[in-house]
Amino acid sequence: MAMDVVDYEIFGNEMQYVEVELDPGEAAIGEAGAMMYMQDGIQMDTVFGDGSQQGGFFGKVLGAGKRLLTGEGLFTTIFHNEGRGKRRVAFAAPYPGKIIPVHLSAIGGTLICQKDSFLCAAKGVALGIAFQKRLGVGLFGGEGFIMQKLEGDGLAFVHAGGTLKELVLAPGESLRVDTGCIVAFQPTVDFDIQYVGKVKSAIFGGEGLFFATLTGPGKIWLQSLPLSRLANRIILSAPAAGGRSVGQGSVLGAGILGGILGGSDD
Amino acid sequence: MTSFSARLFGPHLPGSGVAVTGAWQEDERLKVFSPEKEWAATNLSMTASGFNAERLKISWTDDSGEYALFIDNAAARDLCQSGAPARYARNLLAASQEQRGVEHRFRLGWAFLAGLFLLPVLLLGLLYLQQDTIAEWLIQRIPVQQEAQIGEAVLAQSRLTMQLIESGPSVEALRRIGEKLTTGSPHHYRWFVANQPEINAFAAPGGIVVVNAGLLRAITSPEELAGVLAHEIAHAELRHGLKGIAKSLGLRTFASLALGDYGGTALAEGMKKLAELGFSREAEREADQEGLRRLVAARIDPQGMVRFFEILEKEQQLTPPEFLSTHPANAGRIAALKQEIALLPQDWRPLEIDLATIRAGLPQL
Repeated sequence: MAMDVVDYEIFGNEMQYVEVELDPGEAAIGEAGAMMYMQDGIQMDTVFGDGSQQGGFFGKVLGAGKRLLTGEGLFTTIFHNEGRGKRRVAFAAPYPGKIIPVHLSAIGGTLICQKDSFLCAAKGVALGIAFQKRLGVGLFGGEGFIMQKLEGDGLAFVHAGGTLKELVLAPGESLRVDTGCIVAFQPTVDFDIQYVGKVKSAIFGGEGLFFATLTGPGKIWLQSLPLSRLANRIILSAPAAGGRSVGQGSVLGAGILGGILGGSDD
Repeated sequence: MTSFSARLFGPHLPGSGVAVTGAWQEDERLKVFSPEKEWAATNLSMTASGFNAERLKISWTDDSGEYALFIDNAAARDLCQSGAPARYARNLLAASQEQRGVEHRFRLGWAFLAGLFLLPVLLLGLLYLQQDTIAEWLIQRIPVQQEAQIGEAVLAQSRLTMQLIESGPSVEALRRIGEKLTTGSPHHYRWFVANQPEINAFAAPGGIVVVNAGLLRAITSPEELAGVLAHEIAHAELRHGLKGIAKSLGLRTFASLALGDYGGTALAEGMKKLAELGFSREAEREADQEGLRRLVAARIDPQGMVRFFEILEKEQQLTPPEFLSTHPANAGRIAALKQEIALLPQDWRPLEIDLATIRAGLPQL
C-alpha cells in the first residue's frame, strides 16, 4: 500500500507541535488526544486498530489488542482531507521535548521506539509492538518487554522528552545509555544491557544497576529527560505528596525567608 | 545467480544505511551493489544482530573500514542462504541458531512467568477437584480424642433440641448389645435414648449413639435393634459423620476444625446441614456392609437388620418417617443384604434381652 506523502512544519522550541499538511484525499493517523487543531475540510474518523490493517475483523482485533499492550487506546483517529485544497492538522507533544520526524523509507522501513512516544504518522504506517526478546533487556532495560514498532515507508513523528540527541553509530561502534533515555533506534542497532560493573556504583551511583548498550550500525535517538524522571521530581517536590517548596538561590535560605515571604497556599 | 535485497552500513555511506542488492559470485565473493556503487566482499563474518538478533549481519573490512550488510526479511535471508558458498554454511547456521536461541529463551521466559502465575490457580483447581480425597486424608489423621471432642459438641447441640435419657434399663440394654458390636474399638462408646416419637437413630463422631424412643417401640425383636446399632456403629467407626461435615461445610471450615476449633458455630452449622442432607448412598452402603460384618463377628442374627429395613419400608408407605429421608431404605439395599446373609453359615446366638427390658422405663407418649 502506498503511503500518503505529507508535508509538515514543526513549531515551538521546547513545547512543540507539528502541523501536517494534507493534500486532497490524503490522511494522517494521530495518537488519541494529540490533535491540537484542524482546518476546515478535514474529516475525523475513528477506527478500530491503527487504520493500516486491510484484513478482516480478526486482524483488526489483533491490531487493537497489540495497541492496548503498548499502553495506547483501542482506537486510532484518522484525519482525512476531504476538501479541495491543501489542509492542515496539528498534533501537539504531550510534555516538554522535541518532535522527531522520521522518514521510514529512508531508514529501511522500520523504526523501533519506546511505547508512548508515537505522536502521529502518514496513513498506512503500521503501529505494531515489538517484544523485547532478550530477557535481560526486557527485565532490566527500563522500557520493559514491550516496544513499539512503526512500519511503512511514510513519515512518522515520534516525541522525545527534553533535548533530543540524534546520532549515528558506525558498524561495531557502541554507546552506553541510561535505559530511560532511549527514544528510538533503527532495527539494525543491537540493544543489550550491561551491569554497571561495580557494586558501589550499583548501590550508591544512582544510575541504576544496568546500562543499555547500543551497538551500531544505525541511527539512534536519545532523549535528555525521560518523562518518568521529570514526573519523579515533580512528585517529590509536590506539597500534596509530602514535598516542600524550596526557594532556590536565596542567601538566607528558604527555611526562614521563604517561609515568611512565600506564604502558604492553603 | 540469485540476488537479495539488504541494507548496507559502512564508511562514506549515510548513517542510516543504504538499500542495496547482494548476490553471491562464482569466486565465493559477495557482490553488493547500489545504483551508485559496487562492492565485492570477501572474508565475511556472519552473526545474528540488530534488535532481538532478528537480522542476519554479514560484515567485512576493507581499506576504508568496516562494512555491515543487514538482511532483515525472511525471504531475502532464504535467498542469501541458498546461494551462499559452502564455506559459509557453518557461519550461516550458527547465526540462525543464535537468533533462534534468543527466541527460544524468550518463549521459555514467558512460559516460566505464565507458569508462575498459573501455578496457584492450578493448585487451587486441583485442591477443589481432589477435595473429597483431601478431606478423607485429613479425617484419617484426626486423633480419637479430638473426634470425641467433636462428638461432645454435637451431643451438646442435640440436647438443645431433644431430651436425652442417659440411664435406665433401655440404655443399659443398648449398652449390652452395643458392647458386643464394638469390641476392640478405639472409641469410648456412650449410649442414649432420645425422647422422640420418630423411628430414627443417629451416631455422632467419637462413639455417641442415640436411638429414638419411637424406634424402640417399632421393633419386633432385639435383633432388629442390634441391626440398627450395628449400622450406626459402622457410621461412627468409618467416620462418616466427620466426612459429612467436611463435605457440607467445604474444606475451608473443615480445615479450621482440623486445626483445633472443635466447638463453635462452624460445627453446629455442619451438623445441621448434615442432618438435612444425610449421608451419601455410598456411605449408607458402606455402613450396611460394615454393620453386617460386625453382626456376624458378634454372632448376632443379621436377619434382624433386614427385618428392620422391612419395617421401615412398610412405614414409608404410611408416612415417610424421618429416618427414611436420612437413611434411604430401598428394596435394593434389602435385597443386597439378603443375598449376602444367604451365603453366611447360619450359626447365631440369641440375644439374651427381651423387648420388655428394652422398652422398660420409656417415657409415655
